[in-house]
Amino acid sequence: MSVYTKAHTHTPAHDADREHELPYATQVKANRLGLWLFFISEFFLFGALLITRFYLWNVPGVGQTRPELSQELGLITTSILLASSYFVYRGETAITYDDRQAFTRSFMLAALLGLLFFVGVVVMEWNLFGLSLDLFGIEWFGHLRPSDSVYGGVFYMMTGMHALHVISGVGLLLIAWNRGRKGEYSSERHWGVEGIALYWHYVDVIWIFFYPALYLIGKPV
Amino acid sequence: MDVQKKAAWRQGNIVIGVLALLTIVEFLIAIWQGTAVFLFIIALIKAALVVQFFMHAYRLWREESH
Repeated sequence: MSVYTKAHTHTPAHDADREHELPYATQVKANRLGLWLFFISEFFLFGALLITRFYLWNVPGVGQTRPELSQELGLITTSILLASSYFVYRGETAITYDDRQAFTRSFMLAALLGLLFFVGVVVMEWNLFGLSLDLFGIEWFGHLRPSDSVYGGVFYMMTGMHALHVISGVGLLLIAWNRGRKGEYSSERHWGVEGIALYWHYVDVIWIFFYPALYLIGKPV
Repeated sequence: MDVQKKAAWRQGNIVIGVLALLTIVEFLIAIWQGTAVFLFIIALIKAALVVQFFMHAYRLWREESH
């Protein structure tokens, strides 16, 4: 008998082990609390970045300033992230009612939109490939470099830290999508979906504060 | 159950509609040189909507599986 088979054999000893397990509802409640505590700890990181922005981009005699960025690109990427959060909500709601097809469709769409946001920030706003495109009066590729004084440094630090969370969130969404596709979630047991949805919405909440801080508040310089 | 699911989806539609509207409002406020305070208040409202309706923060105090 292989080790794998042994580990999954149903034995009285196994039943005795399970007797000590907490009820699923209690486990989920503890998981939720743990995840929210993680969010609070992350808030200190993102909060510190926000404070850095308001401190360093404050010019005496002028007030708050910001780098000259493509307003339209910022608005488009923000809308994409909000839309992806909406599809995650739809997916989570769908699995709550055992609608697996709607769940997988929504989570796949959310992951694709998340990826599009990532491309919008890292490829287009950071302009990784040094491209230039002016279409419909919109500047589609950014020009700010990390070495451009405090503006570049802070902008890349904030968007980079956020993008890291976005790309890990996209990975998690795809894992949930794959597991959902295999029928591993049900209306009664889907903490995996709920946890990943919470994480994705949190990433969205962070951007809700980052977007005005980076693109809207202050005098462009 | 189908009615409940539709109601939940309708709630999601309303929330995303309000979020989109607030995003456009903050964009327009910024163009018209609005103050940072207004923009921060809008961001707070948007975050509160996501936390309440998408993240279901109220579940933290409930004993329920799903």
